[in-house]
Amino acid sequence: MIARLRAVLPPIVFGVAFVAWWEAAVKIFDLKPYFLSAPSKIWDQFANNKSLIWEATRVSGTNALVGLIAGTILGIAMSFLLSRYKILGDIVTPLAIALNAIPIFVLVAVLNNMYSITSEIPRRLMVTLVVYFIVLVNVAKGLTQVSPTQLELMRSYAAPESAILRKVRVPNAIPYLFTALKISAPAAVITAFVSEYFGGAQNGLGSRITSNIANSKNAAAWAYVLGACLLGLAFYLVSIIVESAATPGGAKRTSGRSQ
Amino acid sequence: MSTVNVSNLNKIFNKGQTNQVDALVDVSLSVEQGEFVSLIGPSGCGKSTLLRLIANLLEPTSGDVVVAGKSAKQARLDQDYGMAFQQAGLFDWRTVSKNIELPLELKGWDKTKREARAKEMLDLVKLPEFSGHFPWQLSGGMQQRVAIARALAAHPPLLLMDEPFGALDEMTREHMQAELLSICAKTGTTVVFVTHSIPEAVYLSNRVVVMSPRPGRITKIVDVKLDGQRNESTRERPEFFAAITSVREALRAGGGHAHAGAGVEDR
Repeated sequence: MIARLRAVLPPIVFGVAFVAWWEAAVKIFDLKPYFLSAPSKIWDQFANNKSLIWEATRVSGTNALVGLIAGTILGIAMSFLLSRYKILGDIVTPLAIALNAIPIFVLVAVLNNMYSITSEIPRRLMVTLVVYFIVLVNVAKGLTQVSPTQLELMRSYAAPESAILRKVRVPNAIPYLFTALKISAPAAVITAFVSEYFGGAQNGLGSRITSNIANSKNAAAWAYVLGACLLGLAFYLVSIIVESAATPGGAKRTSGRSQ
Repeated sequence: MSTVNVSNLNKIFNKGQTNQVDALVDVSLSVEQGEFVSLIGPSGCGKSTLLRLIANLLEPTSGDVVVAGKSAKQARLDQDYGMAFQQAGLFDWRTVSKNIELPLELKGWDKTKREARAKEMLDLVKLPEFSGHFPWQLSGGMQQRVAIARALAAHPPLLLMDEPFGALDEMTREHMQAELLSICAKTGTTVVFVTHSIPEAVYLSNRVVVMSPRPGRITKIVDVKLDGQRNESTRERPEFFAAITSVREALRAGGGHAHAGAGVEDR
């Protein structure tokens, strides 16, 4: 309990001190609201607009979640195909890695042209695409990078390829899948916000932030930023909880691999 | 009947290409039931290749391998041998028990039978209290014991081992050697054992097969004249040293060049 307190206390103290210093700096240096809003003002805005912020969070969060689930399913399916047919992997993997390196969410501008102006589909497609590549690259690695000793062992048991897949490749890929989820959960949220900057319905957190800034309601914009932070954090936390619930022996397994 | 019979075996890698390697040339060897035979030689002498040919993990270029009276392939399909490697190769996501049960699962055994056998094997390797542990919670020596238990789980007549104690420290290694001998005495398993270490080969084996590289071949087979019961005092007996000397001399003679025996440890 004391050890846990020791781990948790320093970041909390630092966070509180940082916010206090921010508040004080706005007062002492008389910073104008259009330059930087005081945390107390932001909090007021947050408390007053709770239902609006919640509604916007729900819209962006749903887009992120739908994309995250679709991208994960597609990524897993494709990685199985790639590990099964090596030639396919040789063709697609370099492409996937290259695509992953460029900010592909600008594609949402193109996708917006394909659907009606109020459609959420382009944003969800965008999230799906981003998540898909992260999951694909990681899970494909987990399915193929199996210890040679373990493969030789399975061959010595005359194990058919289907048994090797089920008993070696898939379990080996599970930590890679969770790593992919930990990366792609926050990425899904970010992609969902940024997608909103490229037009479409003005109902999500991303578009609320821009419209409030456009109307010089900076404290309100910050309140939506706070909502965005909480949403990203929630996605990340859920991905960690899912990992520790699904992994026998918890996180130790990935850090303490035996020979 | 001999458990392993290898006759006029040749293995050439990359045949006809510039990087052709004559891994094994005209190798013949037979291992009797219940015998413990070590393969020793410098790196590149083909001892691991020979082991993998017996295991049917590699196909010979020419020649015959007969294991337990069948072709090597049929013996592999029937799981007539168990195998252990330098790396324990345990599966991190399976408990110790479940690791040992793996070969039995692949044979289609039912759960109760598997669990009973895993328990029996854990008793045999003296780790009964670790059945529910995960591999990363065990020391290197314990992991290797689990690997041996797994290799013997289906009660195969033959155990093939590729430097299984190579990654262990000297004390653990000697302890594991004694354990292995007692396990084999209890089960009557025939063993083919690849090693770099002369004392290890002599301590464990009825016969030590000395091999030399370029091309890989058997240069001499040394009979170890130690009686059945081997223990710590065995390592101090004159017959032990005599066998070590003859293996070392065979290694030197087999190389035919100044660096003969390079890569073979004297410990």
